[in-house]
Amino acid sequence: MGDVYRIFYVHVPTAWNAMLALTFTFIAALMFLIRGDWKWDARMEAGIEAGVVLSFMLCVQGAIWAKPTWGVWWDWDPRLTTTAIMLFAFLGILALRHYVDDPARRATWSSVATIIAFVDVPIVYFSVKWWNSLHQMQSSPETVSAAFHWPLRANAFAVLLLMIGWIMLRTRTAASRLRHDLGPPLPEPAITPEPLPGGAR
Amino acid sequence: MTGVIEGGWEFVWAAYVMTGLVFLIYTASVLSRYRREMRREPDHQEIETHE
Repeated sequence: MGDVYRIFYVHVPTAWNAMLALTFTFIAALMFLIRGDWKWDARMEAGIEAGVVLSFMLCVQGAIWAKPTWGVWWDWDPRLTTTAIMLFAFLGILALRHYVDDPARRATWSSVATIIAFVDVPIVYFSVKWWNSLHQMQSSPETVSAAFHWPLRANAFAVLLLMIGWIMLRTRTAASRLRHDLGPPLPEPAITPEPLPGGAR
Repeated sequence: MTGVIEGGWEFVWAAYVMTGLVFLIYTASVLSRYRREMRREPDHQEIETHE
């Protein structure tokens, strides 16, 4: 493959972590619908955003890889098409969250939309097996040379740590905004007012 | 013809630089929004997000 094979070290970890972020989002959506806990809504928002950033980079890196190896920047092959659908589906959910003001509707609608959009994630993964794709088969330690294992794993963990950091901070930001949107219950008065002597007000 | 693609370093650089740049910009955006949110609520009561 030559020197361009080095793109593989950043493209594959991005792909793994994009799918991981979107799987986390799917779990968060399910948990919100089952338990109705707002924490999961904040986590879902964080996961969608991280997943969209990683999926976007996945498409950009893929295009940069495709040009020298396939001769084109983009091809409507099953892997690329399903990845583009995944990116735009979750981008749409972010837009939905942005435009719906009511927190309850926003959380419920985006949870349902996330579960529907997540159907595409396993399709992206298995697309190279199911269809005759221009894209190569999934990369794993079994399919690459032993010399590639260490750098591939190091990059995968680096992107994983970065993604965890993003999700943690975004969750806190989303949770804080959510608390503001929901309106915290008015605090109980610290001191019960006592009637003034002589009945004066 | 060896079947090996010759050159292509510009594509390798482009992939790494763009990835680094986008990750850096997004990290800055996440940090900036987090700080702004924390400043908005100085008496920030932790909503239970023990990530």
